[in-house]
Order: sequence, then C-alpha cells, then structure tokens
Amino acid sequence: MRAPFRLQFEQRTETPRRLGVLVPLISVLAALFAGALFLLATGHSVGDTYSNMLSDGFFSSTGITDTLGLSTVLICTGIAAAFAFQMNLYNIGGEGQLYVGMIGATWFGLFFGENLPSFIMIPLVLIGGALCGAAWIAIPAWVRARLGTSEIVTTLLLTYVAASLVNHFIYRSGSYFRAPNSMFPQGRQVPDSAMLSPIGDTKMYPTFFVIVLLSLALHWVVRRTEFGYRIQVISDSPRAACYAGISARRTTVQVMLISGGLAGLGGATLIVGSFQRLDPGIVTLGYGYAGIVIAALARNNMAAVVVSGILFAGLRSGGDKLQISTDTPIHIGVMLQGAILLFALGGEAFRRYKIRIVRTPAVGSEVTA
Amino acid sequence: MNQNIWVLMTGDSVALATTLILAALGALFTERTGVLNLGVEGVLLTAAISSFIAADSSGSVWVGLIVGSLAGALLAGIHAILAVVLRANQIVSGLALVIFGTGLANYLGKPYEGKTISVKLTDMTFGPLTDIPLLGPILFEQDIITYVALAAAVFSSLYLFRTRPGLEVRATGDDPATVDAQGLMVSTIRIRYTLFGGLLMGLGGSWLMLAESAAWHQAATTNGVGWIALALVVFASWRPIRLVLGAVLFGFTLQLPYTLQAENITFIPQAFLQMVPYVATLISLIALSRPGSTNALGAPKSLGVPFVRDER
Repeated sequence: MRAPFRLQFEQRTETPRRLGVLVPLISVLAALFAGALFLLATGHSVGDTYSNMLSDGFFSSTGITDTLGLSTVLICTGIAAAFAFQMNLYNIGGEGQLYVGMIGATWFGLFFGENLPSFIMIPLVLIGGALCGAAWIAIPAWVRARLGTSEIVTTLLLTYVAASLVNHFIYRSGSYFRAPNSMFPQGRQVPDSAMLSPIGDTKMYPTFFVIVLLSLALHWVVRRTEFGYRIQVISDSPRAACYAGISARRTTVQVMLISGGLAGLGGATLIVGSFQRLDPGIVTLGYGYAGIVIAALARNNMAAVVVSGILFAGLRSGGDKLQISTDTPIHIGVMLQGAILLFALGGEAFRRYKIRIVRTPAVGSEVTA
Repeated sequence: MNQNIWVLMTGDSVALATTLILAALGALFTERTGVLNLGVEGVLLTAAISSFIAADSSGSVWVGLIVGSLAGALLAGIHAILAVVLRANQIVSGLALVIFGTGLANYLGKPYEGKTISVKLTDMTFGPLTDIPLLGPILFEQDIITYVALAAAVFSSLYLFRTRPGLEVRATGDDPATVDAQGLMVSTIRIRYTLFGGLLMGLGGSWLMLAESAAWHQAATTNGVGWIALALVVFASWRPIRLVLGAVLFGFTLQLPYTLQAENITFIPQAFLQMVPYVATLISLIALSRPGSTNALGAPKSLGVPFVRDER
C-alpha cells in the first residue's frame, strides 16, 4: 500500500536570499487567494471586500494613520512573543499579560495621576503596566525554569484568569476601576496627566515611535550583546550552553519576564493612548494572540516584527471597517491572519529544503537500495 | 446543601466532561504518534458552528454531529500537512490553527449569532434505573454521546495497550526511527491519527453545540475548553482511563459557577468562580511536574519532533 510517488526533502546548505523575500510574499498572496475562494463560496464580493480592506487599511490617509495607531499595541505583543519564541519559550499568554498590564497601568494612572505632572506620569504608567505584565508571567516562568512545566499551557490558562479579573474590576459595583455614578458598568477615566494626545487629527499616538525604537533596540540586544548571545547559544544547543557555564534556568526566567513585560507594556500603551480607562471590551479584541502570528511571520526577528505588525494592523483595521463598507463579516480579517500564518509555515519548508517529487521505486527494489 | 444540588452538580460534571473527554482523547491519539496539535480550541469552535449550521438546516442532530466531526478532521488535516508532510514548527502551526479556526467559526457563525438551534440532542432515560435516587440522574440520564465518549475512552485504552496497531501508535510517538526500520510509514501513521484525533475533537465540539449550548456565542461557546483538554492529556499522563477521571474533575469545576449562581449561593464573587477551572488545571499541572525531565510524566518521547529519515 505505497503511494506511487513521495516527496524528497533535500536540506539547503545555503538559503538563496531571494527566497527570504519571495516566500513570505507568496504566502501572503496565497492566503489572500484562498480567502478569495472562500469569499466567493460564501457569496460575498471578493473585489469589494479586498479593495475596501486595502484602502481602509493602507491606501488612504485616515486608513494608514489608523493602521499605525493600532500597530503600536500589536508590535508590542509581537516583540513580546518573538522575544520568548527565539529561545523556544512559547509564551502564548501575551493576551493575559496585556490585560494585567492594562489593569496595572490604569491603577498607576488613577492612583498617582491627580498629583504628578504628565512627564512623570506617562513613563510611570507605561513602566507600571510592563511590571504588572511581567508579574503575571512570573509563576509560569519560575515553574518552567525549575520544574519544566510547559509554559505553553500555563501562560494560556492564566489568560482566562486575567480576563475574569478584568471583568471583576469593571462589573463589581464600587470597584476602584469602575466609573462612579454611571448607569452602565464602565471604567473610570485616568486623569489628564496620564493621557497622551493623538498626533494631529489622527488616531496615532507618540507611543508608536517609542515602540518602534524599542523593537530596534531589542533587535540590537539580541544581535550584539552578551545577553543576546546567551539566548542564541541556549536555543541552538542547551548542552553547549551548559558546558559554557551559562545558566539556562536564569536566562529562561529573565527572557520570560521580559516577554511578559513587553505584553504588559502593550496594554499600558492603550491606557495612555486610545482607551484611557480599563475597558472590558479588550477581552474580545485578541491583540495578544495576534502578537503570536506577527512574531511567527517575522520569524522572531525583532526588527521584522515592526513590518509584520503594521501589515497585520492594516488587515485588522481594514477588516474591521468592512462592517460599514460591505456586508462581509469582519471576521474575515482574523481568518486571513490565520491563513497567512499557515501558508507562511508551509512556505518555510520551501525555504529550508529543496523539495522534489520522486517516483517510489517498485516494492522490492527499495530493500536492496 | 440539599440532595438536588449534588445531583445537579455531579450530573452536569459528567455531561460537561463529554467534550473534555472527546477533545482530550483526540489530542491523546495525536500526541501518542508524536504530533502535537495545539489547535484544539480552533477545531472545537469550527466543529461547533459547522454542526450548528448542518443540524439547523437539515433538522437532524445526527447530520450535525457527522458534519461537525468531519469539519474537525478537515481542520486537523491542515495541521497534518504542515506538521507531518512539510515539517513545520508544530507549536506555531497549532496556534495558527486556533487563530484560523476561531476566525473561520466566527465568520461562518455571523448570520447565526444569538439564534438558538431548532433541534437538540436529548437525554436518554433507562426507566427504573433513572429513578434510582442520586445515582440514577447522574449515571442514567445523559445523552448518547456522553455514553459514546465514556465507551470510547475504554476502547482507546484497550486499543493502545492491548493491540498491535495500538503498539504501532505508541512506538511511532516514542521511537519513530525503529518504526521506520520495521518498514512502517511513520508519516502515514501520524497523518492518520492526526485526522482521527481531529474527528474526535470535532465530535466533542459538535456535542458542546448540540447538547449543551444550543446557541452560538462566538468564542465564548467553547470558552477555553480546548486548552483545558490539552492540559488534561498531560494531567492523565497520556492514558485514556485517567483522562476520564480528570475530565469529570475538571467538568465539576467548569459547571461550579453556574450551578452556584442558579442556587443563589453568591458569597463568592462570580469572577473568582470562573477562574476555578483554569487555576485548578494550572495547579495540577505544576504539581505533576518534576525537575529535570518531562518524561517523568510519560510524554511520548518524540512529541513535537518531526521525523526525518536519513535520506540518501
């Protein structure tokens, strides 16, 4: 019962440079093509859907600034995921760390905001959010380093706990985070000193540039510092790292805490930016999960995350506006994200291997071969 | 507490355990061959909405169950192609499946939001047996898929540990090179059980829709059950019978907030009760971990590692 042919994989010793660009590009196109077939099958207009998504996401002045505004938090969760992934630590609970970062940032804003000036408050809120995000990953980090408990499941489980926390802080009457004297359960706005104003007439905040610079700085840390070198050695060969006297345990904890902190920082950028309050709606937006896709598409390269983050923000923001412009369900945006990642993963094989289809030799000849 | 609430709680735990058992069994078979499919949550959601649409338009729960299961297998097929054929990173591929499956399910479910399904899987009754106090309603008043799930767990255990194909499954997960040397196709076995695992997950997702929820609530339909199922496999050290025990335990914590609220027991905030299943899973995972090796738990030795034969 053998197939008449099989795939033969030949490891490439050197990856041609053009494939590094071509493979992601073709993946995106292939995903869009698959999405088009799907739209056709479900009776929606492909042309309308895509042209609206593209113009609302990238090719109009409000479209592109909305996209860059949204990309701020996505780049944050993207570098959060990429930073851990590059050491084969799969922190997929960025979503939960983002919620807790938001809770923390809001608390710092509400508690200190009345008395401190803006130039102290903004960094304080951002750092506060990052610290809370890091705190939320502390247990998974510690048990991963000590006991080897899979961080994949633990970080994910804590996301559901974090979501319940957000709801608790908003829906419980008399909660510190809840707007007093409001009929509807909604968050209390942080004081003016803890808020940034958008750039001009856009939905972009100065945090965008901070986060882009942070990504480039982290890229430098990974490539050029001793800490980055340690991460590379551990991920390439844990045994070699052990012989070299590098403590994988300590680095594991450090890397995971930084990863959680970056996701928390993402939550904090929302507070000083467009949200201005703890909003339970965050749990339906999936910004943290998107970070995983963004990181994977950028192949965990911190600088490339900026590009894939903006690409995804555009898809997202263009997709969300479909509700107004067409009758296509907005979820096509999320579907396309997943599809792009699936195709990119498949494409990865073509980058790493030469794949050839060969005929299976007749049964019998295989044994002597 | 009166007796009714105990019946309600335990009975609901057994019922909720059905999805967990089916989804976790699916993951167990997949992982036993060495393939890690983290996409359970996405598979469950896609299967749930597919079964909703199929059952609602055909008027038959059975059509719903079949279509839902097939949708599960189809989605798992994507993972099989990426993880087994193309040797992609299984973790990322599984996560991509969650995102894709969630988007797909929400897209397909858009016209059905908030609608209730016209048909529902009903509980079976066993006449006098059901009338036994306490035990009757717990054990003899469930729907057929719950019994199927329990039977499937027992058969899976016999299959894996008492038959030749079961041995091949376990060997493929532990030592694919030897299986290959025996002349068996590692990739064929892995693809087959990844698909079969998806089928079981799909059945679990369909059951959740057709017997439990009866309305489409987007991602809240599964609410993380897929992730709990993955943790459950670790909790059960990849053994079907232990998996059933764990599923009933986790099923109990999952229904707790709703039952207590229905009984007006409100001294514990709702949000904290909702955390219970996730925290309980987390604590049990940590408690089962041992420093040094993950193999102490009985994980298949080549779990998540693509098989590469030395090619000439």
